[in-house]
Amino acid sequence: MRIFKNKDLLFELIKRDIKSRYKQSFLGYVWVILVPLINLLILSVVFSFFIRIETGDIPYTMYLFAGLVPWLFTSTAIVSATTSIVQNTSLITKVALPKEVFPAAAIFSKTIDFSLNFVIMMSFMVYFGVSIKWTMALLPLIFVIHFVLILGIAYILSSINVYFRDVENVIGVFLSMWMYLTPVLYPPEIVPQNLRPFFDLNPMTALINSYRDIILFGRTPSWQNLLYSFVAAFVVFFIGGLIFKRLSRNFADVI
Amino acid sequence: MDSDKPVVIFNGVGKRFKKERKLLLKEALVDIFKPGKSEYFWALKEISFSLKRGDTLGIIGKNGTGKSTILKLIAGVMFPDEGKVTVHGNIAPLIELGAGFHFELSGRENIYLNGVILGLTRSEIDKRFGSIVKFAELEDFIDTPIKHYSSGMYMRLGFSIAVHTDPDILLVDEILAVGDEAFQRKCFKKIREIQTMDKTVVFVSHSTDLIREYCNKVMLVENGEIALLGDPSKVIAAYKR
Repeated sequence: MRIFKNKDLLFELIKRDIKSRYKQSFLGYVWVILVPLINLLILSVVFSFFIRIETGDIPYTMYLFAGLVPWLFTSTAIVSATTSIVQNTSLITKVALPKEVFPAAAIFSKTIDFSLNFVIMMSFMVYFGVSIKWTMALLPLIFVIHFVLILGIAYILSSINVYFRDVENVIGVFLSMWMYLTPVLYPPEIVPQNLRPFFDLNPMTALINSYRDIILFGRTPSWQNLLYSFVAAFVVFFIGGLIFKRLSRNFADVI
Repeated sequence: MDSDKPVVIFNGVGKRFKKERKLLLKEALVDIFKPGKSEYFWALKEISFSLKRGDTLGIIGKNGTGKSTILKLIAGVMFPDEGKVTVHGNIAPLIELGAGFHFELSGRENIYLNGVILGLTRSEIDKRFGSIVKFAELEDFIDTPIKHYSSGMYMRLGFSIAVHTDPDILLVDEILAVGDEAFQRKCFKKIREIQTMDKTVVFVSHSTDLIREYCNKVMLVENGEIALLGDPSKVIAAYKR
């Protein structure tokens, strides 16, 4: 992939994003941790006191956290990657660059947030007395599949957004719909049996289930989940790459 | 490398744009139901020329005649709809200085950012860093966020980074208008130096004095076509008429 030939460019773009993101804000990078914690607080109050969601031996807050951290990576990475081409208009129209580094840099930069949040989540596990399992060693595998899926989606959305800015307007609605269709707030078992085949078509469902398996339950993810998310991620990535390649040729003309 | 071999070749190049840009899905959908309504205009038509090493080409013409589009085609940012553009060697675009700057970051951080954007590796920038700062005369401000720079200061920084990329082809689009006279003189001295190293320079400028002084070829563009190409004094005389 050309991205790795341009690792210096990629590195500088990630650095730019991280350094500039919270400049002139009082709490700075603390926001990366604060936002998920506020989300977690609100959701766990609503779903463990007002509407009770049963999660067995695992405290609901912990169950939610293990799904919310990977989900927030999905949504923040997609939002920022979608606008990554349009936000670099001045560069795209002036310098011949490998344009595929822009969405990739946006996602890599959110990967750093994801890792920070992961560490916070582990400290919550200690607090809630949930032991840290050896299956956590499978994290890199699941994360790579997750990353490839998001990169593929980002290639599709960021390139179409150059032509139709409607994409960046609709993305918020699309993501919240997607979140409710993914078992982030609830266990997949509460979905009616006859709807499960459709529900399981969502590759994020397989990924969130796998994350919970290795983080909370100490079991290896089912091979169906792994295989399905792997195949789906690479198909999306392949299609995304083709669309991006096709559309990126005319970015400077239409942007 | 054979010095007579052209480094930039335009062969019957045409570039068209859509007359109206459809930014909203709604408008694009309307278009689907009204087929044949997409209208194009040709920004460039039948452009053919070639440049050798050591050539300095000045492009003149009224606003909106396609001068900048020619630079963008050389830079590889845009692609022709007709004909063929061939470019040998690496290009440093000086189009609107500071395109890759981030205002919240310091001068130092921006040198690295801009350097990799123009195709240098980080270790190459490490080696040239001192020289870039010295040429830009920003030793005292290099760790200041560039949002506090004056327009002359970041013009200096942008110019310095671009010429330090050691380009085979330097593209200059109306940039030397800002900045004080002393620095302008320094920039032109640097451009002279680049010329003597047998590099190729392409200028877009309204200043016929500059063009006369620095170019060995001048192209007059009118309505997307080459009206005249050749000896500076002849072309400039025709332009002024």
